[in-house]
Formats: sequence, C-alpha cells, structure tokens
Amino acid sequence: MKTHILAFTLLIFLAAVARAELKWEQTTADLHPGIGDKQAVGHFKYENVGNTPVHFKSVHASCGCTTAQTQKDQVAPGEKGEITATFNIGDRTGLQVKTVTVQTDDPDPAHATAVLTLKTTIPQLLEIQPAVVYWQGGEEPKPKTITVKAAKEFPVKSLKVTSSNPVFQTKVEQTGSGEFKIDVQPAQTAKAAGTTITIQSENSPKSSYATAIVTAGPAPTPASVAR
Amino acid sequence: MKSRAIKQALLLIALAFLPAVGQAVYFRGKVSWQSPIPASESVTIAQAQAWGENAIWVDARPDAEFERDHVPGAILLNEDRWNELLPQFLQNWSLEKRIVVYCSSQSCNASREVAKRLRDQAQLKSVFVLQGGWEEWLKSKK
Repeated sequence: MKTHILAFTLLIFLAAVARAELKWEQTTADLHPGIGDKQAVGHFKYENVGNTPVHFKSVHASCGCTTAQTQKDQVAPGEKGEITATFNIGDRTGLQVKTVTVQTDDPDPAHATAVLTLKTTIPQLLEIQPAVVYWQGGEEPKPKTITVKAAKEFPVKSLKVTSSNPVFQTKVEQTGSGEFKIDVQPAQTAKAAGTTITIQSENSPKSSYATAIVTAGPAPTPASVAR
Repeated sequence: MKSRAIKQALLLIALAFLPAVGQAVYFRGKVSWQSPIPASESVTIAQAQAWGENAIWVDARPDAEFERDHVPGAILLNEDRWNELLPQFLQNWSLEKRIVVYCSSQSCNASREVAKRLRDQAQLKSVFVLQGGWEEWLKSKK
C-alpha cells in the first residue's frame, strides 16, 4: 500500500515538475495614442517558468487591422521575451478592442492558449453629428445643419471648413464654448451631387470630415423603406 | 439535526462555488468582446438576395481581401480608409436601399463596426449585418 502511495505521489510530483508554461506579465494593454498617430503598439512580455521549452504554434489577430510578432519560435526554460501587437488605427475612432490569440504546444490546455487584448482609446478631437447630410432629388435645397463639438480636453476656438464641390456652400457659426454649427446648402437638387466637407480646428494636425449629397430620384414612400 | 442540515447545505454550496471561481479566474482574460447582433440588425444571405436591386452590398474587409474577391457589385467601405471611402459609398446609396454589410466570417467584427458607424454617425437607416459574412457567401455559391 505504501509503495502505491509513494508511486502516486511521485507521479503527481513529476507531472507538476515536468511542465512548460509561459507566464505573461500582462494580457491586456491599455493604449492611448496621440492625435494623428497612425499606429498603437502593445508589448506583451512573457517568461517560460517551466522546465521544458515552449513552442509557438500560432499567433492570430482578431482583425486585419492588427498584426502580431513573436521574437522567436521557441522559448527555453527561464527565457523571457515579448509579443509585439501593432494596431493600425486607420480612420477608426473611440475605444477599439482587438485581441491576439497565442497558441503554444503546452500540454496543459489551461496554459496552451493565451488571449492578449489591446484596448486602444483613439482621441476624438471633434464630434460631428450627423456625419452625412442628404437631399432627395427635387427636394427644396434648404440648408441642413451639422453640429460640431470639441472634446473638453482640446479647447477649440475656431474651425476652418471647406467643401470639395462648389455646388455646396457652407457657413460656420460658433454656438457655445467649443461648439459650432455648420449650415450646408446645395445650389440645386435636380441632379445628383456630392461633396466632402473638411473640418479643421486651429490646433489639430488632423482633419475631420462630413459628407453632403444630393441623391438621384424622388423621396421613397415609408412602405418602401420598411423592412 | 436542523443545524447539521444547514451546515451540510452550506458546505455543498461552497464546494459548488470552487469550480465557478476557478473558471472565473482562468477565463478572466478570455471574455468575448462580441455581443450578439439583434435580429432586427442582421440578415441572412437568402433574405438579402431576395431584396435584389433594393440592396446595396458593403464590403467591410481590408482593401487586399476586397481586391482578391468580393460579392458582385459590393462597395468597399472599411474603417482603414473610412473618410475616403464613405463619400464613394454614398454616391451609390439612395434612401430606399437596404445596406448589407459583411466581413470575413461570423466571428469578425468589422461589419458590426461599419454598420454601427453608418447608423450612428451617418444616421442612415436600414443597415444590416450579413450573418456568416464572406465565408457564408462562398458556401452559398457552392
């Protein structure tokens, strides 16, 4: 009986000792890129705290906008390293949560997969509502209003607004502290037309955009737009 | 007798909590950030195809994937080049059209994000996410 207990204890001990395990310093990175930054980079440091080597089987990002790189394919016992995850900001705004799934050959399924999370808060200097104004073909070409609100941490005193198409006229008016309205008016609504309205504050290297269009065709009946 | 039963019940509850606590600790970094799409905001391929000319298909995948292949007639609108692509999309849009947004698969998030921006920022109505995305489209063509 004693032999059995000893063998069992030894087995448990060996199973616990002969292990490969990546220990992550952190699995979530909170990133705060500056205005105009094109990328946000997260560093996920690890250490093999086991006594056998760990091999990376796959590193998979949750979206095409994120790439991840391992420095090596194999991590020796006691060795440290990091996975670098790069999030391409593009024209995204607000809080963006992207994940990178790392799979290793660790026999313990509890440690074989790690999900690394990038939480990126992209600063939004100007909040534009709505970002699109439109007129139906033949509709009276009355001005439509776009409101612009500057973020509290970015005081804005003036806006420069330009329209890419002279068919659309724009007029800017300050309505409060950091608040503006832009009246957009097409010269006609008989023909389809569109313009990109570029909105730039005096203290930002990055422009914001709105779109104004005159759509072809008459206004639809309510029944035709219902699902 | 009664207090013994209560003790036993408490012990059983405590034991039942152990695996739950273990799971919570183990899966704490593995929470899905995807919330289910409300039925009113998603559409199947069959439904979208039935809309025919009244549907406008939007490809929310990166440029390279769109260039490789896409739903015939689909318009590229992703968040990488949102400011540049939105006006191009709007040139093809009209109020009576239903917008069907897709990305790579059921698990991708790009179609949800693009649909949300079309609804919230552009204030467009009739915006739907295609269930199963491009993967499902390919399956339907086999």
